[in-house]
Amino acid sequence: MDLIIRNGRIVDGTGLPAFVGDLGIEGGVIRRVGGRIEAEGARVIDATGRVVAPGFIDPHTHFDVQLLWDGQARPALEHGVTTIVPGNCSLSLAPLKAEHRRALVGMFQQIEEMPDAAFDGAFEWTWESFDGYLEALRGRLGVNVAPLVGHSVLRLWVMGEAARERAATAEELAAMQELLRQCLEAGAVGLSTSFVDVDEKLLPVPSRYAHFEELDALAAVLGEFGRVLQVVPEFYNTDITLARVDQLAELSLKHAIPTTFSPLFDSSATPDNVPRVMARVREQMARGAQVWPQVQTRPIDISFSFEQASLLFAFSPAWYMTMRLPREQKLAALRNEEHVNGLVAAVQQDGTERRWAAIRVRSVARPEDEALVGRTLGELAAERNASPARVMIDLSLDNDLKAFFLAADLGHHESDRVGPLLADPFVHIGASDGGAHIQSFSTYGDTGYLLGHYVRETGQFTLEQAIKKITADAARIWHLPNRGLLQPGYAADVTIFDPETIARGEEIPVHDMPEHGMRYVRESSGVEAVVVGGALAWSREGGYTDARTGTIAVG
Amino acid sequence: MSATGSVERPVGDPPQPVIEGAVVGPGHDGSAELIVTVLHPGGGRDHVTLDADAGARLMERCGASSAAELAGADWHHLLHVLG
Repeated sequence: MDLIIRNGRIVDGTGLPAFVGDLGIEGGVIRRVGGRIEAEGARVIDATGRVVAPGFIDPHTHFDVQLLWDGQARPALEHGVTTIVPGNCSLSLAPLKAEHRRALVGMFQQIEEMPDAAFDGAFEWTWESFDGYLEALRGRLGVNVAPLVGHSVLRLWVMGEAARERAATAEELAAMQELLRQCLEAGAVGLSTSFVDVDEKLLPVPSRYAHFEELDALAAVLGEFGRVLQVVPEFYNTDITLARVDQLAELSLKHAIPTTFSPLFDSSATPDNVPRVMARVREQMARGAQVWPQVQTRPIDISFSFEQASLLFAFSPAWYMTMRLPREQKLAALRNEEHVNGLVAAVQQDGTERRWAAIRVRSVARPEDEALVGRTLGELAAERNASPARVMIDLSLDNDLKAFFLAADLGHHESDRVGPLLADPFVHIGASDGGAHIQSFSTYGDTGYLLGHYVRETGQFTLEQAIKKITADAARIWHLPNRGLLQPGYAADVTIFDPETIARGEEIPVHDMPEHGMRYVRESSGVEAVVVGGALAWSREGGYTDARTGTIAVG
Repeated sequence: MSATGSVERPVGDPPQPVIEGAVVGPGHDGSAELIVTVLHPGGGRDHVTLDADAGARLMERCGASSAAELAGADWHHLLHVLG
């Protein structure tokens, strides 16, 4: 044996009760599970009192670009994630002709909020084909990657600029089918498409111009390989989403493929959305279709500043119209005492002052205000003998409108609704969006939130059920061979954590993007060690290692 | 609530759906969104969630300065902002 994980509480991914024992790893593969293992010269990790689980699988990420300079997909790995699926929402970095790079960058920036520097100098575009992109990743991966190929880039390759104007001709469709076939042969786990996303000019991404016949033809190719179709449906309307569920079911049954869609989240503003969608999913699953809704674990927070007119201010004409003013006029209005009195009064009249008091200061521009970060407007209002609204206005002015605020838990946060949804056997836990929205909020630590909040704090899952959801179930849905279980012959991807302390960690801003670009992350809490392909990839004591044992986890 | 942003149409057209109201809600991408309720002539209701950009465009098209002022607006405005 190369590595023995000693005396851990083994949760093997099957959903069966945990048991105490050793885990033996050799040649990147699990060789023995349970019992006492002795082996001369093997590295030993003492896991006494810790849970030993299969590495977690994150099925919805946008790490496509980051992987080119950070093959460990930090900080997802330190949260226990050992396999990621990039290329979602119709966008992947390949196949892509050199002449289309700029167009794709615009689409990626709209989704990922990644700075220009990330595309201009952080890596070298050495590929056009999907195989070429995978070649650029090989040797640098510290996590396993199961990449989707994006429908929008298939269209760009075959149709050029017409991809953003019209449906494909029969010849173009045949060319797209052949191109998809090449991607799947190279190692793509499936195809992603979107009926919603837009580029940086707010124009529809190319996949949105496709007719159903095009999706049907591409799904036929997926059927040749038994690979996955990922879809972003028109989630802004329940009835259209139901129609998409039906459509996905037909594609799934016709071509014998798994399909998955996201997002689906609970909101008190549309309380019947989730029950109606899930009822339709159950109906279609009962027919034998595979239509997996992805549901995120984390609650939805809203981040905003006074620089932009967030719809959060649309509760009041006075507030919304103030925020819609050009910058200089806005500053003048906020410095006008009479106008500010009117804004403060509007909050009091709306009866929402208590909710305003719960809003936190997220970031500031002035160094002298740094100590205010993380505090609530209510706390500051009490200290200043002012209203929360007045404090927010003052702080925004002090920081030249560059103070950011966080209204937490505005959606998908009611445990008695979200817990049972996540535990539903027809729900695929995912939709983390890892690597995306990087300047708005952290997309890391969702598995820690599942195991900390929904297992330990609310008890809505057993540990074994939760682990199964994010390991074996995910591997089965995505047809990832030999992953998701701690069983002899399976890939040695292992996460070791303390069930008493695992959590998603505090959200913090860091400047670790190319050219010191900022993003929000969460550092892991309670995870002790992560093994990828039999090698220690991260540990609490030692941090990230040089191990590059991640692979393309398909086929 | 006042009917805002009406769209001219010929007399004698069949009854049309109307925007009954709107509230602000959470968006998947961490921004506030507008959840618009459409009331159909037969009494049925439907919700359409608009992201920050589309929501702002709807407010502008309807001349609304708050979500509540969307009540009574012509539902065709939704088609325009959804593009």
